[in-house]
Amino acid sequence: MNLMQTPVSDTTALKPRITASGVQVYYDTNHALKDVSVNILDRTTTAFIGPSGCGKSTFLRCLNRMNDTVASARVEGKILLDGQDIYDKRVDPVQLRARIGMVFQKPNPFPKSIYDNVAYGPRIHGLARNKAELDEIVETSLRRAALWNEVKDRLSAPGTGLSGGQQQRLCIARAVATGPEVLLMDEPCSALDPIATAQVEALIDELREQYSVVIVTHSMQQAARVSQKTAFFHLGNLVEYGDTQQIFTNPQDPRTESYITGRIG
Amino acid sequence: MSIALLTLIILGLSALGYLLGRQRALAAVEGDARKLHSLPSYYGASVFLFTALPAFLTLLVWLIAQPLLIERSVAGMITPADIPAGTTLSLVMSDVQRIAVGTEQLVADGMSETELAALQADPAGLRSALGRLGVSVAETTTPNVLEAAKAYRASASLGHFGMIVAALALAVAGLLISAFRVTPELRARNIVESFIRVLLIGASTVAILTTLGIVFSLVFESWHFFQLYPAKDFFFSLTWNPKFGGGSSLGVWPLVWGTLYVSFVALVIAVPLGILSAIYLSEYASPTVRSVAKPLLEILAGIPSIVYGLFALVTVGPLLRDWLAMPLGLGASSSSVATAGLVMGIMLIPYVSSLSDDIINSVPQSLRDGSYAIGATPSETVRQVVLPAALPGIVGAVLLAASRAIGETMIVVMGAGAAAKLSMNPFEAMTTVTVKIVSQLTGDTEFASPETLVAFALGLTLFVFTLGLNILALFIVRKYREQYE
Repeated sequence: MNLMQTPVSDTTALKPRITASGVQVYYDTNHALKDVSVNILDRTTTAFIGPSGCGKSTFLRCLNRMNDTVASARVEGKILLDGQDIYDKRVDPVQLRARIGMVFQKPNPFPKSIYDNVAYGPRIHGLARNKAELDEIVETSLRRAALWNEVKDRLSAPGTGLSGGQQQRLCIARAVATGPEVLLMDEPCSALDPIATAQVEALIDELREQYSVVIVTHSMQQAARVSQKTAFFHLGNLVEYGDTQQIFTNPQDPRTESYITGRIG
Repeated sequence: MSIALLTLIILGLSALGYLLGRQRALAAVEGDARKLHSLPSYYGASVFLFTALPAFLTLLVWLIAQPLLIERSVAGMITPADIPAGTTLSLVMSDVQRIAVGTEQLVADGMSETELAALQADPAGLRSALGRLGVSVAETTTPNVLEAAKAYRASASLGHFGMIVAALALAVAGLLISAFRVTPELRARNIVESFIRVLLIGASTVAILTTLGIVFSLVFESWHFFQLYPAKDFFFSLTWNPKFGGGSSLGVWPLVWGTLYVSFVALVIAVPLGILSAIYLSEYASPTVRSVAKPLLEILAGIPSIVYGLFALVTVGPLLRDWLAMPLGLGASSSSVATAGLVMGIMLIPYVSSLSDDIINSVPQSLRDGSYAIGATPSETVRQVVLPAALPGIVGAVLLAASRAIGETMIVVMGAGAAAKLSMNPFEAMTTVTVKIVSQLTGDTEFASPETLVAFALGLTLFVFTLGLNILALFIVRKYREQYE
C-alpha cells in the first residue's frame, strides 16, 4: 500500500473539538487506560490504532459515555466537548450521545424498517416537527450515508434484510440523522468485504467535511487512507499522537515504529 | 424363576458378550487397536446389544401377549350359566384370574401339589384357604369357574416356563452369533450408531403415540356421549343442569364462558405484572437485586395450586366481597370470578415473568448499545427496540400462561365455586369446564349415562381450545420471526 495516497491537509488551523486530559479507566481493578491526553480536532478524521486490548476502544467509548452502561467501569480525568466537561454531573448522557454519534464494529440495525431505523434518533429527540420534515431528515441521512439510491424504493423493508455493507451504512445514516458534531466509529469495516469497506471509507472522507470523525481500526492501511491524525495506543498508554503522515513515515517512539512495521501487535 | 432374576441373567450374559466382543476384536489384530475399523468398545457394545435386545424384546412381547391368549382360551370353559345375573363375563374372568393367582400363592407358601389337588375338589375348603390369603371367593362361584382357574394356572406356569427358555435361548444365540462375527473389518461403530438412532426414534414415537392415544380415547368416549345426548343441545343449549335421574340439560356454554372469564381476569393481572417485572429484572435491576428477586418470584411457581385455592377461599374471597362486591351492590358471594381470577393471576405471574425475562435477556446487547449510542433512554430502548425484538417469545410465554389458566381446577373450585352460570358480573360465583369434569366423574357412578360421559366431551372441548391457542402461538411466533430476522 502506497502511503503517499494519504489525503494531505493542513490540520494546524483547526480548533480542537474534544480535549481529553489525564483520562484513566478501570474495569473493577484492571487499569485499562492510563493517563491519556489528546485533542480531537474539528473536521478531521482521527484514527486510533494499536494491538488488541490496548485501550483504543475503551477510550472511544469514554467520549460518548458508553462506558456508563458497563457496571464495572470507572472513568477518571477530564474530557471536554467544546469546553464543557462531559463527565460533569449536570450533563445528561442521553443528550450528550445525541451530539456524539457512534457506529459499531458489527452492523446492528434495529429489527425495524429502514425508514424507522433512520428516523429512530430524530423521533426520540423530537427533531422533526412533522412527517415531511422527518422524511427529509431520513432522505438526507441516507444520502449522506451513500445508501439512498439503493434503498429509496423499499424504505419499509426491514433493515435487517440488507447486506452487511448496506447494514453498516444504514447504521451510519442512523448515527448522522440526529445531527451529531462528532462521529465515533469502532472498527466499522471489520465485518465488511473490501468493496463495502471502500464505500464506507469514501463515506468517512465525505463526513469529515462536516463532522469530527474518530475511527478505531486494526488496519494500518485504513488509518493511513482515511485519517489526518493518528493516535497509537499500547498496553493502555497513548504512545504517540500526531499527523498521520508523520506517524507512518517518521514515528518518534520506537514502539510505534515496531507496530507499524509489523514487529509487535 | 422370577422376571427380575431372568433380567439379571440376561444382563450378565450381555456383559459377558461385551467383554468377549472387545477381547475378540483386539485379539484379531494382536492388540493393535489402530487396525480395527472402530474403537474396541464398539465391538463389545455391538455384541452386548445383540445379546440383550432380542431377549428383552421377546420378554416384553411375551409378558403382554400371554395373559391375553390364556384368557381367550380359558373363557371358552365358562358357560352362560356360570355368569350370575347382573354381572358380565369380564367380571367372572377376573374372578378366575384371582383364584388362579391365589392358588399359586398357596403353593408358594409351601402347599404340595397333591394337597392342592385335594383342596380343589372341595370348593368350601378352597374358599376358606384362599380367604386366609385375602382372596375372597363368592358363594355363587360355580365348579366351572374353579376348573377354569385351574386351567388358567396350568397354562400360566407353562407359558412362564416357555418364556424363560425362549429369552435365554435368544440371549445365548445372540451372544454366540454376534461374538463370532467380530472381525477387524466389522463396522461396529455404525451398528451402535444405528441402534442409538432407533432408540431415539422409539423415544419420540412413544410420546407421539401416547398423545394420539389420549386424543383417541377422548374422541371415542365423546362419540359415545353424543350417541346418548344430542350434540345440538350440548353445543347450543345455554343451561347446565345435570340430573342423575335423567332429563339433564348439558349445555356447554355456561362452562366455556366461566373458563374464558376466569382465564381472562387471570391474564389481565398476570400479563402486565409479569412482563413489567421481567423488564425490571432484565434491564434495570442490579445483578445483586436480580439474583435475589428472580428466585423469589420463581418460588411463586412452586406453590401448589391448592394452597392458592386456600388463599382464595379464606383471604381474597371475603376481602373482595366485603370491600368491593357488597359496597357496590354487586353480590354477596365470597366465591366469585374475580376471586379465582385474581389468585390465578398471581399464580401465573412467574410463568410470564420468568420466561419473558429469559427472552428479553437473549436480545443481543448490540441492539441496546445502538439505541443508547443514539441517545435513547433505557425506557425508550426497552419500548422501541428490546420489546419488539422479544415479542414472539413473549407471546409464547403469555399463551403458555393462558393454557395453564384454562386447565386450572383447584383455584376455581375454591375461589369461584361450582355453580354454572352465564353472567357478566365478576362478583358472581361461576364455574369452569375442568371443575365440572371432576364433579361429573367423582362419586359412585358408572360410565354409561350421558351425565358421566359428558366429561369426555368437555375434555375434548378443552383440548380443542388449548390446541387452538398453541396453533395461534405458533402462527404469531412464525409471523414475527420472519419480520425480525
